[in-house]
This record gives sequence, structure tokens and C-alpha cells, in this order.
Amino acid sequence: MKPRIVVTDFVASMKGWSRSRGTIFWSIVFPVMLILIFGAIFSGTDNPTYTLQVQDLDNSTWSHTYLDNLKNISVLKIEIIPADKNITDYIKENDLRGALVIPEGFGEKVNQSFYDKNASVNLSFYYDPSDQGATSVVRSILASSLQETNLFLTGGHHVIGMDQVSTITKKFKYIDFFIPGMIGFTVMQLCIYGSIERNTKYRKDGILRKLQTTPITRTEWILAKMLFMLFLSFFSTAIAVIIGILVWGVVFNINIWMISIIIATSFLFSGLGMIIGRFVKEEETADTAAGAISFPMMFLAGTFFPLEQMPAALQAFAKILPLYYVNEGLRNSMINMDFGKAALNGGIVIIFAAVFFIVGVILTKWKED
Amino acid sequence: MIEKTVQCPKCSKIIACSGNPGDVVKVTCPQCGNEGKATFKKTIPTNDMAIEVSNLRKLYGDLVAVDNISFSVKTGEVFAFLGPNGAGKTTTVEIIESIRSPTAGAVKIFGKNISTSFNAVKAKIGVLPQEFHSFELLTVRETLIYFSKLYDKRADIDEIIKIMDLASHKNMLYKNLSGGLKQRVGVAISLVNDPEIVFLDEPTTGLDPKARREVWGVIAGLKKKGKTVFLTTHYMEEAEHLADHIAIIHKGKIIAEGTLEELIEKYGTGSTLHIKKCRDANAIEMLKERGYNVKSEGNGDISIKIDYKERVLEILSNLRYDCVDYDSIDIRQSNLEEVFLNLTGAKLSEEPA
Repeated sequence: MKPRIVVTDFVASMKGWSRSRGTIFWSIVFPVMLILIFGAIFSGTDNPTYTLQVQDLDNSTWSHTYLDNLKNISVLKIEIIPADKNITDYIKENDLRGALVIPEGFGEKVNQSFYDKNASVNLSFYYDPSDQGATSVVRSILASSLQETNLFLTGGHHVIGMDQVSTITKKFKYIDFFIPGMIGFTVMQLCIYGSIERNTKYRKDGILRKLQTTPITRTEWILAKMLFMLFLSFFSTAIAVIIGILVWGVVFNINIWMISIIIATSFLFSGLGMIIGRFVKEEETADTAAGAISFPMMFLAGTFFPLEQMPAALQAFAKILPLYYVNEGLRNSMINMDFGKAALNGGIVIIFAAVFFIVGVILTKWKED
Repeated sequence: MIEKTVQCPKCSKIIACSGNPGDVVKVTCPQCGNEGKATFKKTIPTNDMAIEVSNLRKLYGDLVAVDNISFSVKTGEVFAFLGPNGAGKTTTVEIIESIRSPTAGAVKIFGKNISTSFNAVKAKIGVLPQEFHSFELLTVRETLIYFSKLYDKRADIDEIIKIMDLASHKNMLYKNLSGGLKQRVGVAISLVNDPEIVFLDEPTTGLDPKARREVWGVIAGLKKKGKTVFLTTHYMEEAEHLADHIAIIHKGKIIAEGTLEELIEKYGTGSTLHIKKCRDANAIEMLKERGYNVKSEGNGDISIKIDYKERVLEILSNLRYDCVDYDSIDIRQSNLEEVFLNLTGAKLSEEPA
């Protein structure tokens, strides 16, 4: 092993990268663009004012008190639906995404609850299931306001009820959720496509045949390329983190787990690229094959949206995808600071990385058949 | 002791000097007094074999790509491996370069078997693979530096740039170069370790005639520098123009081998006088009666085999005497195309890929 040769190849890769508009786009511009666009689209969820239409069919002191409580929640803007309107027609006519109905007899049931522990009443929250962003946040706010109200009325006994809400929206702001996923996705893309370029384009151009006749060894070459991929991975991670901090005020935790997961991810997807490059010889076909693997993985592994919003079958499928563990590991280490889970996710990523990279190296040949 | 002549860079006077291989001798110009140095290269005796190939065979399933061939290349010569596309040239050269493994047979470079000692041989060879394209986003100079740093022994990059006439393009990105320049860079890359053997696999394929001539100039320059050149080509003019020794490969077998003169002597048909558009219907009969070996080429064209050059004047006198009218005449020498035609029954340029 000659460090001079490894450094020479690393420097050449850096020069090529710095001059390639395509790779600059994919490693810097594209992730920054997505972070800014997705951040802007969902930024309203950070300090929001959600409009909630409420129909009070009870018109009692207790229903007024509950409405006043809702009005005191700063993120909610309450609008009243006249009691004489048919709620489903009203929602349809006014294209509402959600509405809360306080049923008739609400005040009576609350009064009853002071001496009858079995007395309870359910509010009806009408919502559009396709609008997972705003409605789930409103449901979450309502659930916690109901909890407070129940506590106030009976010391915690369940009087007023409503449907369960997803826990995920309680935990993250969207951008907190998105940026680690974006980092995982960018590292995956850079490593898969970088690896494929080396193994298909270089083969087509005769560069691998040429290198076979020079003193550089396959080990030196792969080491140099992996150093370069690690540089790119950390560079694009740094860009995403800086944009997250400066533009969206995200607080990240940089720690050994996050660094380990990024290193393992680079090896994992470089290995996957080597495997694809070995079996798919043409450059264009290899790109298509990489896209066919990486794009569904991007959508299914919880990069852009929480897994909880997907059907159960897809959630189960996501858990066999390496990118899922990369995304979860990065979120747990960078945002949640749940290092136990980060270690578990990181461990799984390292196992994936070891298998894919070793198989990739074994399959990477310079010699022709 | 070796004797050589050098030219004074100041007054162009030719100066004789002598020295031993490896010596650098001080030379003073007797005309202008300019002082300089003459280097005597460490040369290897030209009868030493650079490459020895024995009973080489390569199978792809049932297909026999290379069929038990043996040949050798002398140090310092340009060896042309000539054959149509698909004949087995590239497979053979890539086995010699250790890019492919043979099914059977052995290859020695400077006496070392490449199956066991290729790493030791790498420093002594420079390779331009077929259809080679280097890193698109490195400049010419950066590309040469990259490849040279892979070796312990390196040639002077600026000297290579000068020899290859790449000085005005050295800072251009490889992707922006023309086809001819890319091939020149490819040849330049193969020289970065100052190799003793240079392998050039179809270096002029796809180039226009001007670019092809440029690459020929470069190969001729390598020969002058004492390099052994292994050239694969399907262009017979290339082999005729450059090679000291030619091996013709067809369907995986070497069908002829020797110098250009030897091949033409052995397999050619000698010189031929061609008469274009002869307007006398009886001309062929008249010439045959006079004892000439005459053949009709169609459209009134006639070819007459010439045993010795004085025959040309004799034939022309007879044509004049017989009042035979024609458009023009030309004399054609036997060439490799004809050698190939005689050996295989097909034209080299028309062989299928």
C-alpha cells in the first residue's frame, strides 16, 4: 500500500468533482434546494395559526367555557359554524379540512360527571384523512386541550373524549424530521451513483483496463475512492446542517453515532453501487437500475414523511430497507438524542454496510473475462 | 564504445562523438565553441526478445478467439499485429498486458512469465488500451501527472508534452480535446513511466486521415527513441508505414509473419501494369499472343503482370505498335491488402467485424 498513490487518486477525484456541474448539483444544490423547498412548504407547522371551525350544538355554559379555552390556545383561530347548518354539507360547501362539533347535551353530561363517574361525552372531529399535515397537528392540539379540560373537571377522569392522534407530530417539527432524512438520502445517492460511475463508465472508457496495467492496486484504488466518498458524504451533511441551522433554526446534536452512521452509510451504498455496476455493464442501464432501487427506497424508508402515515404493509416493508435504519439512526442521534435507539439503528446500518461493501469489493474486478 | 553524431543547437553543425552506454559526454562545437552534452542510452542488444508468446489460446465458451498462436517481438522494433476486426488482435494483446487471462499458453516479457511476475513487468510497459478515454475533467497535464504518480520511475512530463506536441493543449480539459488529440494524450499516458515496451491497441481507429498521420508521427518518434512498440491495427497502410515486423492474424490464427518485404515477396503477386479504358477489343488477345500474363478487370480495364521493370517500356511500345488506344496507365506494387487477399481469399478492409 503506497499512500502517495492513494493521495494521487483522491486529489484527481476532488478535481474532477469540483469541475463537474452535475456532481456539484447532486451533492450541494439538490439537497439545499429540497431542504429550502420542503422547509418552506411545511414551515407553517412550526409557529402556526390553525383555523378550526367549531359548531356548538349545545350552547351551554360548559360549551362556552370549552370554546373560550380553545380560543385561548394561541395557535388556534376559532371560527363558529352556525348551529342550524348541516355539518357535512357545510364542510363540503366551504371546502373545510376539519371541523369540531360540540354535541347537544354536552353541558348536561359535564354536570352529570360530577356525581356520575360513568358520564361521558364525545366531541366529533371531522377531518380530511388526505391532509395529514395540518389536521393531525390540530387533532394533537385538541387531544391535549381535552386532557387539560378533563383534568380540570374531574381530576383526570375521562369525561370528554376524542379519537387518538399520531404521536409523531407531537415529537418533531417537520424540518427536524426532514433534514436527517435528507442527509441519509443525499449520502445514498452520492455513493450509489459515484460507485456506478466508477464501475461502468470507467470500464467502458478503458480506464479500469489501463489501471490494471499500472502499479496501482485494487485496494489502493478502492481506499482512495472511499476516502473521496466519505469527504463528499460529510461535505453534503455539513451543508444540510448549516442550512438547517441558519435558515430553519434547527438544533442538531453532532455526536459519534451520527458520524458512525454516515461513515457506515457511505460504505453501504458504495458497496451497493459496486454490486449494481458489476451486473449491469452499460452506464445508462446502470443509472436506471440505481434509480429503480434508490427512488422507491427514498419514498418508502421515511425520508420525506413519517412511516406512521403509511399503510401497515408498507411500514413492515420499510423495515427491511437499509435507508430506513439510516434515517432513523440519524434522527435519533441528531434530533431526539435517543442514543440507545441510535446505537441500535447504527448497528443495523453497520451490518448492512459490512455485507454490501464486502460483496461489492469481491465483485469489483479490473480483469476482463 | 558507441559512436554517434549530435547537432549543435546554436550553429547546426553536426559533431561526431563517442561514449559507452549510460555515459553523458561533454561536447564542444568546433565551429562556434558552444558547449553541450551527449547522452548514450543504455541500450539492450536488439536481438533480445522483448515479448515471447507460446501456444496462446483463449476460448469464450465454444468460441475460439485465439487459436494456439506463438510469436516473438524483438527489443526496439515496431511490431504490427494486423488483422480484421474480430480476428483476435485485442484479445491477444490484452492477454499480453495481463488484462485478460489465457485459457492456455504462456507469455514472457523480458524473459519473465507474466502469469507469475506481472507486477515486476508493469514498470517496464506502457499501455494504450483500445477505445481508451481518460478522465474527462482533468487537464492534459493533470492526467499525465496522475498516471505518472502511480509509478516509482517517472519520465519528465513536460518532455512528454513536448514530444507529443501537446504544449498548446496541456491546460485543456480532456473532454474538450479532438479525437486525434485524445489519442495523442493516450499515447502520452503510455509513456509516463518511460517504458521499454509500448502497447498501442488500434491507436488510429476512428480518426480522420490527418489525425491518423499525426499518431503515425508519434509512433515513428517512439521507434527513434528506441522503444519497442506493439501495435495492433486493421489498417494495412499503418502496418506498411510503421512496422519492422508484421504478424497477420485471421480467425484467431497467425497466417503469416515477417517483414513487409518478406510478406510481399512470399505472398504478393509482384508489380502489375494497369491500363484504364482500353478501347481495342482485341488488345487482350494481342498481348497474350506476345506472351504477357494479361487479365481483364472489366469496363475495358486490363492488368498485366510485370516480372521486371523494363517490361513496362516493352509493353507500352507494343501497345503503340498495335495502335491500341487507352485512357491512362499506372503501375501497382503488391501490398498487404493483396497479401491478405491471397492468404484468405477476402479483402482485409471488407472482412466482417
